[in-house]
Amino acid sequence: MASSNAASPTTAKTGGRLGGKDLINIGIFTAIYFVVVFAVACLGFVPILMAAICGIIPLIAGIPYLLFLTRARKFGMITILGLLTGIIMFITGMGYFSIATGLVCGLVADLIWKSGGYASASRAVVSHGVFSCWIIGNFLPFLITADTYLPTVRAQYGDAYVDELMTYLQPEMYPVLLLACFVTGIIGGFIGRAILKKHFERAGIA
Amino acid sequence: MEFLQSGAGERTVRLDPRTKVALLFAVSTVLLLGGNGPVMFAVRTTMLLFPFALLAFSGRVRAAALMLAAYLGTYALAVFAAPVLTGIANAVVVASATVVSRFVPTLALAYFVFATTTVSEFMAAMARMRMPDWITIPLSVLFRFFPTLGEEARAIGAAMRMRGISPLRNGVAYLECALVPLMSCAVSIGEDLSAAALARGLGGPVKRTNVCAIGFGALDIAVIAVSAAATAALAGSLAFPGVIA
Amino acid sequence: MSGGVREGAPVLLMDNVSFSYAGGRSGAGVAGISLSLRAGEVALLCGRSGCGKTTVTRLANGLAPHFYEGTETGTVRVCGLDVARAELWETARLVGSVFQNPKSQFYNVDVRGEIAFGCENLGFDPADIERRVDDATRAFDLAPLLDASLFSLSGGQKQRVACASATATSPRLIVLDEPSSNLDFETIARLRAAIARWKASGAAVLVAEHRIHYLDSLADQVIYLDEGRIAHRWSGKEFARLEDSERVRLGLRARSAVEALRFPKRAKSAPPAPRHSNDASDNLAPQKAPKPEMPPIRFENLTAEYRKNGAFERALDVPSLELPRTSITALIGPCGVGKSTFAEAVCGLNRCGGIVELDGERLGKRNRHRRCFMVMQDVNHQLFAESVLDEVLLGMTGDDREKRALDILQDLDLDELATEHPLSLSGGQRQRVAIAQALATDRPLIVYDEPTSGLDFAHMRQVADTIRRVRDRGATQVVITHDPEFVLSCCTHVAAMESGRIADVFPLREETVNRLASLFLAYERVEQSAGSPTRDQPKGTG
Repeated sequence: MASSNAASPTTAKTGGRLGGKDLINIGIFTAIYFVVVFAVACLGFVPILMAAICGIIPLIAGIPYLLFLTRARKFGMITILGLLTGIIMFITGMGYFSIATGLVCGLVADLIWKSGGYASASRAVVSHGVFSCWIIGNFLPFLITADTYLPTVRAQYGDAYVDELMTYLQPEMYPVLLLACFVTGIIGGFIGRAILKKHFERAGIA
Repeated sequence: MEFLQSGAGERTVRLDPRTKVALLFAVSTVLLLGGNGPVMFAVRTTMLLFPFALLAFSGRVRAAALMLAAYLGTYALAVFAAPVLTGIANAVVVASATVVSRFVPTLALAYFVFATTTVSEFMAAMARMRMPDWITIPLSVLFRFFPTLGEEARAIGAAMRMRGISPLRNGVAYLECALVPLMSCAVSIGEDLSAAALARGLGGPVKRTNVCAIGFGALDIAVIAVSAAATAALAGSLAFPGVIA
Repeated sequence: MSGGVREGAPVLLMDNVSFSYAGGRSGAGVAGISLSLRAGEVALLCGRSGCGKTTVTRLANGLAPHFYEGTETGTVRVCGLDVARAELWETARLVGSVFQNPKSQFYNVDVRGEIAFGCENLGFDPADIERRVDDATRAFDLAPLLDASLFSLSGGQKQRVACASATATSPRLIVLDEPSSNLDFETIARLRAAIARWKASGAAVLVAEHRIHYLDSLADQVIYLDEGRIAHRWSGKEFARLEDSERVRLGLRARSAVEALRFPKRAKSAPPAPRHSNDASDNLAPQKAPKPEMPPIRFENLTAEYRKNGAFERALDVPSLELPRTSITALIGPCGVGKSTFAEAVCGLNRCGGIVELDGERLGKRNRHRRCFMVMQDVNHQLFAESVLDEVLLGMTGDDREKRALDILQDLDLDELATEHPLSLSGGQRQRVAIAQALATDRPLIVYDEPTSGLDFAHMRQVADTIRRVRDRGATQVVITHDPEFVLSCCTHVAAMESGRIADVFPLREETVNRLASLFLAYERVEQSAGSPTRDQPKGTG
């Protein structure tokens, strides 16, 4: 039974340079965030659900994200979270576009969180909506490298598969996917906030 | 379960972390972009078998065999089921198998990288590459934290079994039951971890030194050469489709 | 800053220091703390849980106010360095720290990297670090483990790595915050040896601790804190001469191994456990005979395996064992002999074989986790619901379940907390919530994994009291423990474990207490004869 009322860093000063404590917190929350994303993404190996993971991941991922925000009181923390998430996606073989989308969405989400003075509940939810858009990076290979990728697949698996695949990976589907990420990200933000209130705040760790 | 539990002594393959980064990049690129024609088929096959070989050489024969079997199984399924099945069944089976077979080699490589890199090696390599603290420290914490999350998740899973909490009986509540203790334990371990690391001087402006001997050996050069050749072949086949094919 | 300290000048000097945590949740603040510690001196900070001991250690290593934020007045100087003003990395040159929880204080995944970590952060020359790592490795007997993964080590081994890592930077002051909480008798003896070595090498040592017996005749100063203030100050000798009743009145644990292993007689003079003012504490010694009419719980061919380098190794082999109904059996033995593996196998939680026979019902692996229950060492793993009452109701059936749940909560003194969130409770209360879960689902067998680690005297007594109440409700209990005081305050039987087997089982009475004592002291002696190489293999994670 360790003393579980360890320091809650919610009292940290806002702004300023990132210290060792912040950097370690980023690492820890990237690990938690990734584990959640990965667990949910395993469902997405069934391709019918593949597009649907855009909608499922943010619903759950809002929980660690919102808890992370209670520690993110300085500019840059969310950006690094996004970048690192992209890097791990790359390491586990999802291609490197997630690094770029992670960085961009992280940066925008960071700016939104900052604009609320690192305390606004509604900005937290919006920030998660924007942050969730990084997931689109997992699908970009199909769009950007389609010219080289698809003939290979077509040769191997036949036209039926490729046609099936392309029905929901048409270029015009991407805005829809992006919107799905954002909307479910917002919903996930609310879920995260609810869990925060229900458990973590009462437990003294939020 | 020894996943992600790096013990330097158990390793027979010792690659510089920078070599691993190069390999990750090459494998990812080649498998993603593919390329056409017999030459690129050979290159692609080589690159996707590479991770399994490394995994086996590093003493994880069982894991390598399992993952290779998963790869070959799904690949075969995709190839043989494609002409037979029709309609929605075709789409579901073939597409699932394709996606799985597409990710298994890179997951095997990720396993290899995580299981054979110690935090100190990683930090040494990052220092050589002049990576800033704000990327090195969070990434190194990640290395340390995945096994911890695994341990916590196992203990929580055991507790849930004792209480009879299961996805079937509890549905969405199951997720909540799993995530809340996992996250609260992770946060409190994280607090202790930060305190201990900072009390030992992590994150100061002092230039960090490293006792960890990293450097390129013959094996590194071989791996880098293969990675470079594969990437070059891919670039060539994309730039001049007629020449290599 | 560092170096050049005048001979005889204090290494650690606290002058009228007060600290209160911002937010108020992080721990107990302290006020008016003054102390001075010279090179080669050991100071022991003791007192009840929440008295502020840990805060004093945090003030010494700078974690308060740099990590745990709050307001500080007064000055803390280590070798002249003003710790509150200096950065943490500056303080790290002078102060080495060892913390309570072995699993959360390491940063690396391998032993070698962990020992070198502090030196690397401070920018020492690599050749110099190599030498320091070698020295620390030798001093703490870690050579066979040097290339092992930290995740494969037992708690005691991890704590040794933490000590080695703290030593490697040759700090002037070493601060230990309840370092023995998760350790067995053997490793505690090693800890004593480590502190003696630091003392001999001229470092100052500050230890905050509940289990103080291993510091017997090692501490030069003993400081007793009460509600954040220094209430008593003794020299080591004065403290040893203190009346035993006074020690008990102050809520302190036994001062020596001999005292810890004394059979309890003066039960009535003990302070009652918090909130149980009038009952129970007069029933401290184990007396009640188990109900004979019920058949004992039998274990047959209980085995368990874990994977080591891809191959399975047998970690547990118990051909046959009988536990009388309503007995409380202490399962003792050094870390890594398979006690936790036994607990998991009994509850069907690991890769195990064999049978548990309960009331004539023979339970295979699958049925065990519905009939047996484990109270885990980290109870946070088993708290799922949003209120204490919901936690107990989860898994209960029947129309009268709410009434029964409230009855159980009342029995465990949790009724007033029924609507609280389990994670907002204190450690002891959380543990009782886990016990309430077992009672709610009528488990005939309950196993506890080190329920008293890190507890002060009063809380240890309270756990013993709870376990006796559970016994009155008819459950048979097995308690894995390294705590002789606790064994003597509630257990009816003792089972000693050795490399995966039950080596000895006996009922605990006044006549057999010497047998218990010789077991514990044997573990300690194993260590004093300078390390047992057989135990230095990394243990498997079972």
